Amino acid sequence: MPASLSSFSDQLADAVTRAAGAVVSVHARPRLPSSGVHWRDGVVVTTDGTVRRDQDLSVTLPDGRRSPAQLAGRDPGTDLAVLRIATGELPVATPGDPAGLRPGHLVLAIGRTGDGGPRAAFGAISATGGKWRCWKGGEIDLWIQSDLTIYPGLGGGPLISPDAGVLGINSGGLSRPLATTIPVATVERVLDQILAKGYVARGWLGAAMQPVRISDTTRARAAMTRDGGLVILSVEPDAPAALAGLMVGDVIVAIDGHPVQQSDQVLALLAGDTVGRTLVVELIRGGKPERVEVLVGERPRTRR
Amino acid sequence: MTGPAFSAGVRGVMDSVVELIIAGTVGSGFVWGPDVVVTSAHVVQQGPVMVRLPNGQERSARVRLADRDRDIALLDVPSLGLPAVRSGDPTALRIGQTLFAVGHPLGVRYAMSSGILHAVGPLPDGYPLPPHARRLTWVQADLRLAPGNSGGPIADARGRVVGVSTMIAAGLALAVPITAVDALLRSRAA
Repeated sequence: MPASLSSFSDQLADAVTRAAGAVVSVHARPRLPSSGVHWRDGVVVTTDGTVRRDQDLSVTLPDGRRSPAQLAGRDPGTDLAVLRIATGELPVATPGDPAGLRPGHLVLAIGRTGDGGPRAAFGAISATGGKWRCWKGGEIDLWIQSDLTIYPGLGGGPLISPDAGVLGINSGGLSRPLATTIPVATVERVLDQILAKGYVARGWLGAAMQPVRISDTTRARAAMTRDGGLVILSVEPDAPAALAGLMVGDVIVAIDGHPVQQSDQVLALLAGDTVGRTLVVELIRGGKPERVEVLVGERPRTRR
Repeated sequence: MTGPAFSAGVRGVMDSVVELIIAGTVGSGFVWGPDVVVTSAHVVQQGPVMVRLPNGQERSARVRLADRDRDIALLDVPSLGLPAVRSGDPTALRIGQTLFAVGHPLGVRYAMSSGILHAVGPLPDGYPLPPHARRLTWVQADLRLAPGNSGGPIADARGRVVGVSTMIAAGLALAVPITAVDALLRSRAA
């Protein structure tokens, strides 16, 4: 059935043409440039890993013109970086619906490298899922893995559906072995924070903790069902934990109603929009259950 | 079979593909005209060329023209008796359109692999490629090639050959634009 393959082929080429109008080449590292997406007017999103310097940045627009760019901010935790360019130069990307993706859906990766036209790769969604924490520490709203090849220079460019909707930003750095895409929702969330403050604020308690088993006798005495928690090893002076009265030796069993037994569960709870919120911490102190309210602070920037 | 398939285009191209056996290694080639086969220059520079037809018969071939820089060669193969490929226009290709390759990757005979057009033109800096090759114009395809594909055709969805599979750089398939065949013929005719 050559006619249907030809029309499918045309559809893919049309999608590349349409989406590529909002894809730029990002000159922010030696040699091979990376790609970026004109996400809002005058705002380009790319991957943090491909922005190797903070100054002397530029982009190549789809018509081949080179235009200066300034770093608005970066979030290494989600591997995103945001650049500002002149407004009114380009169409902005059309977001698609990554939440509807299922394994088998066909997708394209687009990039732009230097002064040439767009570049493209094709494949299928391999796996999908909900929120996850990537090894760089940030929370990513959807798990989007595909089998396409992120060729050199394609990182920072968009993953698109065959109807040209942008599903997210492809990260070469997070892709091993499958291609990993940072979904639209995460880009929007990080972008809002970077444009407002220049960085992404992460919640902070200022206490070091370690997993601990809760003995049967303690559990019986405290009238608790949970058999594990996190023991506080140290509390930083004037940190939110200290201000709330948390002490070394307290065993935290739940935060904001969520049981915690591993420190990455605490990080996950703090990763969202928690700065400035008061969370109820349930703990065991001296064998007795207690509830303490903690006003979540902002992680000092030197600790990112 | 439902849904789009490459099969119709692939069948047409397959009929024009041959195997090249040179000093124990396998390459690919395809029929350009009566008793004329196109392949890569690097495939045929190692020694005498034997051509194996789809029906298993073998013919010895003579290199008529070769351009080492552009890595393309024309072979004379007596009593070949196979149809020539249809060629397409590499300058009219659109990024993202479907393409397929036919060849003998690692000796697997008459294998097709499919993908899309990645880009047309020189390669950006940063690709592992000799400098002279980086500056040449390539049909760059996001499809899987392996040694043994060299010299074989890359064609569009309708089976029109647009390039000659030549090398792989960072996983990207690089093909010499098919227009290089006519250019080679013209240069030697002058």
